[in-house]
Amino acid sequence: MIRFVGVGKHFGAVEAVRPTDLTVAQGEFFTLLGPSGSGKTTLLNVTAGYVAPSDGRVFIGDADVTDLPPRRRNVGMVFQSYALFPHLDVFENVAYGLRVRRLPTPDIRRRVAEALATLQLNGLGDRRIAQLSGGQQQRVALARALVIEPAVLLMDEPLGALDRQLRKQVQLELRHLHQRMGRTTLYVTHDQEEALVLSDRIGVMRAGRLEQVGTARELYERPASAFVAGFLGESNLLAGQVTHLDGDRAALRVPGWPAPIRGVAAPGLRVGAKATALVRPEHVRLGAEVPDAPEATEARVEEVVYLGDLVALRLLAPGPATLWCRRFARDGAPAGDTVKTGFGLEDVRILPD
Amino acid sequence: MTLAAPIRVAVQALAALTLGFLVLPILAVVPASVNPLSHLRIPPPGVSTRWYREFFRDPEWLTSLGNSVRVALLTTALALVLGVLAALGLERLGGRLRQVFTGLVLAPLIVPVIMTSVALYYVGQRAGLVGTTLGMAAGHTLMALPFVVLNVGVSLHGLDPMLPRAAEGLGASPWHAFRTVTLPLILPGVVGGAVFAFITSFDEIVISIFLAGVGAKTLPVKMWEVIRVEITPVAAVASTLFVALTVVLFWVVRRVGARSDAPEGAPAR
Repeated sequence: MIRFVGVGKHFGAVEAVRPTDLTVAQGEFFTLLGPSGSGKTTLLNVTAGYVAPSDGRVFIGDADVTDLPPRRRNVGMVFQSYALFPHLDVFENVAYGLRVRRLPTPDIRRRVAEALATLQLNGLGDRRIAQLSGGQQQRVALARALVIEPAVLLMDEPLGALDRQLRKQVQLELRHLHQRMGRTTLYVTHDQEEALVLSDRIGVMRAGRLEQVGTARELYERPASAFVAGFLGESNLLAGQVTHLDGDRAALRVPGWPAPIRGVAAPGLRVGAKATALVRPEHVRLGAEVPDAPEATEARVEEVVYLGDLVALRLLAPGPATLWCRRFARDGAPAGDTVKTGFGLEDVRILPD
Repeated sequence: MTLAAPIRVAVQALAALTLGFLVLPILAVVPASVNPLSHLRIPPPGVSTRWYREFFRDPEWLTSLGNSVRVALLTTALALVLGVLAALGLERLGGRLRQVFTGLVLAPLIVPVIMTSVALYYVGQRAGLVGTTLGMAAGHTLMALPFVVLNVGVSLHGLDPMLPRAAEGLGASPWHAFRTVTLPLILPGVVGGAVFAFITSFDEIVISIFLAGVGAKTLPVKMWEVIRVEITPVAAVASTLFVALTVVLFWVVRRVGARSDAPEGAPAR
């Protein structure tokens, strides 16, 4: 378990992480997702002990580790660059943390062999690091971190250096590994797909702040802000002004549209304030599917992109605003230059700016 | 690009001449040292070990050789400890401060040696260090330090700063991380720095003349004294020893450098 209580960090006048509360449960795979400079790596380094927080306390399990150096925290860290020791072979890289702990040699042999087997590195023990492929190096880094049986596993964009094909494969391996070992994991990435595939919960970070914390589904279906919506999945965003607010229902006047767009209200809306309507591309309805609603409008079909299983249509809606619509290829794309366009009431989410 | 034949020959001739200009005066001491006559002549009329026997029988030459080796070893040790620490510190310093301190460390290379020597003599005499091995080594360390800092600095610069961090994350103390990760990876720079320090001390003459006194006369000082009186082939023997030592030491540096350049030792990424 990892617990942050009011943890913040500033470098001079720059606030890298604003005071943050967060608890990562025992055995949970938690991902900090955000663009570069959002403070996610700083928060990870605060957990590892490489960066001292300016405010707050950090707990691992029940222990307050805020003032402990990295070596006393019993964390396993996987670095973006792997940081494998180039002068040692694979076996000695993995054994490093065990040798530091002065384990008896037979125990070291057994545990390293187990770790290598777990990560399918059997037989590579005497290889030099430079002789390994990127994917193998990544697994050695993971083996080195796991073999010390850390209280928490920390990973800083560990797949960033791999090519796309390999990344997909390693994502699944990481997921299976976590399912098998159940080690509390804090994972940092800017890649939404990694976050979706791997995480029990995701924290989206923006400018040093945890913007929203939730499961992938919660974040995708009920984003708290346009930023979160934009970071997870594709989204159409229409800017306007709130004309109506009643419980979890709201309406947004968007220039050029025949009537205010109605949808589900996110917390924090006020009548008269600026807001954004979010519609996922798979929820944009066309032609006969459009419900009978005053805000339905005509849009011009600008482009049709065939993606195999899906087709993506780029529509020019009033505003003028670009709307992306995704539909199954077998449902076909409407013929003609213009098409009737609208949304289901439950598919629109009105977000505060 | 291919050059016309006459130009190519001319370029090669020029290269050969330059090389000869650089190397021949140094190598000339080798035939001079095996000269059987009582005065120097190149080329020698025959081959003899007469002057080598002379050198190794004369207690004054042997004492000065011993002094030189002792001073050079002590200098190397001092310069290594101070230089590696300085290089580590400089690597951590940021921006302007690093520039300022690098400049200070390199100053002995730029300040005229005669000034340094006079200053050292002045201070050394008051401290009772003139004519002692320690005083001599302290003076030589000043000249050797920049080479260690530069050599180790280059190695450190190529070191991924994440590596010692990773070691500490795995439970290593800073000292253990330095010993098991940083030091093996900067070893080529350390060995290079050590060799430079040793050679710098071994053939240093200006500071040495000031600080030698009677008790710490090094080989170059002895050579200088002897040659001022008479040009004897024994000086050529001493010079030959210098050349041989330098060749051996640079071969060591090459070996260590080559080993760390080998593909299996190359850093990841």
